[in-house]
Amino acid sequence: MRRFLMWLITTALVGALGYSAAAAPAGPAPQRGGVLIIGSGTDATTLDGHLYTDAPTATIMEHMVETLFELSPEGRVLPRLATAFTVAPDGRTWTIRLRSGVRFHDGTAFDAEAVKFNLDRILDPATRAPWRFLISRVTQVTAVDPTTVRLVTDAPFAPLLAHLTHSGTGIQSPTAIRRLGADYARQPVGTGAFRFKEWVRGDRVVVTRNDDYWGEKALLDEVQFRVIPDDGARLAALEAGSLHVAVRVPPREIERLRGSRDLTVRIDTSLRTIYTAFNVSRPPFTDKRLRQALNYAINKEAIVKSALAGTARVSDAPIAPNVQGYSKIMQYPWDLERAEALLREAGYSRARPLRAVFHHPTGRYIRDAEIAASIQGLARRVGIELELRTLEFGAYIALTARPKEQNDIQMYMLGWGTVTGDADYGLYALFHSSQFPPVGFNRGFYQNPQVDALLDRGRITVDQAERNRIYAEAMRLIMDDAAWLFLHSESQVTGVRNVVADVVVHPAERVMAHKAWLRR
Amino acid sequence: MWAYIAKRLLLTVPVIFGVAFVVFAMVRIVPGDPAQIIAGETATKEFVEAIRKDLGLDRPLLEQFGTFMASLLRGDLGRSIRSKAPVSEELWARIPNTVRLTIAGLVVAVSVGVTAGVVSAIRPYSVVDSAVMLVALVGLSMPVFWSGLMLILIFAVRLGWLPAVGTETLAHLVLPAITVGMATAAIIARMTRSSMLEVLRSDYIRTARAKGLAEHVVVNRHALRNALIPVITVVGLQMGTLLSGAVLTESVFAWPGIGRLLVEGILARDYPIVQAAVLVVALAFVLVNLAVDVLYAAVDPRIHYE
Repeated sequence: MRRFLMWLITTALVGALGYSAAAAPAGPAPQRGGVLIIGSGTDATTLDGHLYTDAPTATIMEHMVETLFELSPEGRVLPRLATAFTVAPDGRTWTIRLRSGVRFHDGTAFDAEAVKFNLDRILDPATRAPWRFLISRVTQVTAVDPTTVRLVTDAPFAPLLAHLTHSGTGIQSPTAIRRLGADYARQPVGTGAFRFKEWVRGDRVVVTRNDDYWGEKALLDEVQFRVIPDDGARLAALEAGSLHVAVRVPPREIERLRGSRDLTVRIDTSLRTIYTAFNVSRPPFTDKRLRQALNYAINKEAIVKSALAGTARVSDAPIAPNVQGYSKIMQYPWDLERAEALLREAGYSRARPLRAVFHHPTGRYIRDAEIAASIQGLARRVGIELELRTLEFGAYIALTARPKEQNDIQMYMLGWGTVTGDADYGLYALFHSSQFPPVGFNRGFYQNPQVDALLDRGRITVDQAERNRIYAEAMRLIMDDAAWLFLHSESQVTGVRNVVADVVVHPAERVMAHKAWLRR
Repeated sequence: MWAYIAKRLLLTVPVIFGVAFVVFAMVRIVPGDPAQIIAGETATKEFVEAIRKDLGLDRPLLEQFGTFMASLLRGDLGRSIRSKAPVSEELWARIPNTVRLTIAGLVVAVSVGVTAGVVSAIRPYSVVDSAVMLVALVGLSMPVFWSGLMLILIFAVRLGWLPAVGTETLAHLVLPAITVGMATAAIIARMTRSSMLEVLRSDYIRTARAKGLAEHVVVNRHALRNALIPVITVVGLQMGTLLSGAVLTESVFAWPGIGRLLVEGILARDYPIVQAAVLVVALAFVLVNLAVDVLYAAVDPRIHYE
């Protein structure tokens, strides 16, 4: 009997080679030097890689701090600071080999002790690491030797590697964290291709090339992450040449920008799914027919085409396509007759319309308020009267997170970024009945014992092909139950000046300049 | 005079405490939970509770207020809930930017506004007067997020003369200063015109003209100085407004000032930031008001403070 189940090492390495070969640009040779300026909507919240929660901060952190594994833009888990791993047959003991000869920006050696320090720090409840739950199944971290670390989980936990790709589990310099205490959050130290230079509050974060980087060194001298809150101003700054890259270009501007000789609009996939959840614990949406009727009544293609200028993808599963475990399940076609038939069956008609209150945020997701208004208009065609309640996000999130007894919301729009790239994160927290608020994110109180069982199995099954089958079955049940009004997965619309080459817009909503360079 | 200033400064203390109480209460009345926002939308209940405890938000409101006031008296504004940095540090990163924009904006506003108002007043109901007042009306009605964006499109995108966003050099200051300055200039122009018209009709102006003084002396020395009192009031009020942060201008030009700090603080329910920023704004208003009152005396010798 084999002591260890060895696998992935070879596939991962072959994958990594394939990936770097595919990324090699055809055309002029990359040039070294220059400053790249990336404009985003919000400032970093903190520069402690274990404490942030937002995507703009993650983008900045990715340049300085590295994780043990990385999620390729194609959705594969590749080694980064780790080189290989093995998992014991019980599925609970993970042995991870680490890259040797790597140093943090402050000169501290990267080794198993550093990894243990970081994972222990994330696991320590006193740290208040928001991403702790990603690795909370880990009960023990042991530094076996300088280049080997061993993780033990309380039960088999298949998504562990995917979770270790998340930048919230980045490995930072233990020396710097110990020395700086709370001030570490303003001067981060990692092993990445760029090192921290300065943070001018509300204005910019600047990183410079790390010339001692262990891997392929960056070409740019410096990357600046600039804060420009106004969408229009950010775009104007891009057109004026004050920025090289602008995130979140408003979809309505795409056509106009297509005519520009100086810049290109990129449309990249995102791991974020936008949906409207039904509160299935209270009438009227306890009735599956009504949930299905709304799914048939809403023309998702039209919403994507008009409100989002075609930049999104109509959902055919509760998770986005780049997520491991995704498979195409189904779509509710736009079918007014079926919608009306279901409504009639449930006892509603135009004379006695179904009425519901529809909560949605504004300014949080791309064109969220406009999409809510479209849904309201389309629902009216089959005699469903939705009353819109628009809320600022801070108030909204508190309102929808109330426990079942107090939660009288009927339907509400939300988005979920499956940032680990693994289906577990995109399904378990949203559909497992153990995840009702305030514990988890199942804010529609969806409950199906079959789905629960499948999601539990998905967590402990290590074979990916088998997991894919399990998740496909769970998603089929969820979609048939019409737990949500399934909408779309967002795309990232990014404006890039043509002098910029090889910038990567990662599906986890990060703009990465590790290999980028400027044409001169 | 000095006794008057000292008395007014002393009166500032209860005002600040009053403001502190009101803002403390208001941020807590607004729905939304800072702990939930920091923890992120995916957080568990235990995690949110733990953060709430860290922040002292689980304590009774009166106790929280007591702690806040005690720290305030020690000059400690606390740490930002979101960035964990000391609030004083966050404020000092923004205040110089706000002051720069305020001064530059007022220079534009006063020079353009007073000149336009005087030009209008000396030829009332003429074509020039109508034209100036029409421009002022447009200036007043134009939303700054639109005019600012137009300035960027013309001077940064089309002509490429000035940078679109940023704070590094004096060139970066030009467009935001014009944007905030123009709106204020319109108010000042209208105020200067009406005040000047009133003064120009008074007896001592007729006397000055009867003495055979040159018109520019009559206007500049005799009329304008007397007409300035209400203008100073307006400039003072506008200065207070600008010091409290030109939120929209700051957003359009990515100018990191107090206004944006305050708005971002409100959105993140970052209570310490909101409280401190509002206190700074209140203090700025009180001091500007005092400066305006003192200026009255300097401009008009009839005004004395006991």
